Amino acid sequence: MGIFEIIMDYLVIIFASNPFAPWIRGVLGGLVIGAVFGGALVMVYLERKFLGDMQSRIGPNRVGGRFGVLQLIADAIKLFTKEDIIPAKADKWLFIGAPIVALTSGFLMVAVIPFDYLYINGNYYAVAVSRMDISILYLEAVSGLAIFATFMAGWGSSSKYAVLAAFRNVAKMIGYEIPLGITIISVAVMAHSLDIVEIVEAQSSIWFIIAQPLGFVVFFIALLADVGRIPFDQTEAEEELVAGWATEYSGMRWGLAFFAEYLHAVVGSFIVTLIFLGGWNGLPIVGNLYIPGIFWVIAKVIIVMMLFIWIRAALPRYRIDQVIDIGWKVLIPLALLNLVWSTIIGLIWA
Amino acid sequence: MTLDLQIIPFAIISIIMIGSSIMVVKSKEVVHSAFHCVIAMIGAAGLYVLLNAQFIAVVQLLVYVGAIGVMILFAVMLTARNEEVE
Repeated sequence: MGIFEIIMDYLVIIFASNPFAPWIRGVLGGLVIGAVFGGALVMVYLERKFLGDMQSRIGPNRVGGRFGVLQLIADAIKLFTKEDIIPAKADKWLFIGAPIVALTSGFLMVAVIPFDYLYINGNYYAVAVSRMDISILYLEAVSGLAIFATFMAGWGSSSKYAVLAAFRNVAKMIGYEIPLGITIISVAVMAHSLDIVEIVEAQSSIWFIIAQPLGFVVFFIALLADVGRIPFDQTEAEEELVAGWATEYSGMRWGLAFFAEYLHAVVGSFIVTLIFLGGWNGLPIVGNLYIPGIFWVIAKVIIVMMLFIWIRAALPRYRIDQVIDIGWKVLIPLALLNLVWSTIIGLIWA
Repeated sequence: MTLDLQIIPFAIISIIMIGSSIMVVKSKEVVHSAFHCVIAMIGAAGLYVLLNAQFIAVVQLLVYVGAIGVMILFAVMLTARNEEVE
């Protein structure tokens, strides 16, 4: 009996006793939030290390042994002990609120992300903090709240760099939320559901990256813009805007703003994994070996994160007008084309 | 019984909504009015959730907060600030 089967048996006992007991939900919620939190930390570390490798540097190598695994902890201690400065001309409440709003939006998104779908005693249970009928729509709506953080920081810090970054972010987001929404609609059309669990279940025979490759490309590009990563990180273009909307922040407030961005990137990788890469549906190459779905999900999420980092190392940054051109003139028509395609394919399958 | 428990979040959300709605008209800074307007809209989404209407709550977030709120803020931030008016 392998270790996985033993763990699964314990899960069965816990779940089957009372799947909706509040304490199970609480523990599950803590675990899931801890996992995504840890995921964001892992992504920061991986990013620094792999960027170092790709750019022929070494990367962090001093704190915590040869590979610098404790570098992040050292950074966090540094941020905590720094002076917390609120600029004299700042709008205090908006300034303080901005990182909080950014983090809240990230954590709210974590609530509906499913990790696995367990078949226990004749019933299916989704390993998620909360299962909604419209979870993908909820994710889309809640991720839109992050834009207010940029606004609040941009206005609140009364700094020209922050305001410019806020303007750029809004101009970008207005354009990129549309292709993002349309590709999500095409996925929902193909899966006949807005529930992420059912979307993943619909991919048990064929992943949506194969069924609608165009949709995957459009979604991935729009997601890069949505989470503000290179080549779409004009809101924090160092050469032009110092540090973008977080310019005036210092100490742990800046740390929160930075962490919120990585949290959004990690949740974005989860969304790509779940709606295009088949979520917990494994590849047939493993044969009869039993691998729990949660491992598939995490493996795919790490691959998507690597893709983010690789893109960051490989591509230069676009100009802001080029970004808006790409959004409106390329991605939206392609997304509409993909909607037509997925509707036709969905009808043929049905 | 369920009503008794629901009255607590309902009261909290209502107080937040009423307070922020008053602040929309009372704020000196027009940007603050816009942000309070957004808070009131989020409160409306919360009320929909209390009514077990999750879909309309999410659509409220998507349309009113995500689109109209952002548009209002964008327009306000592009408007010139008149320092003389007190």
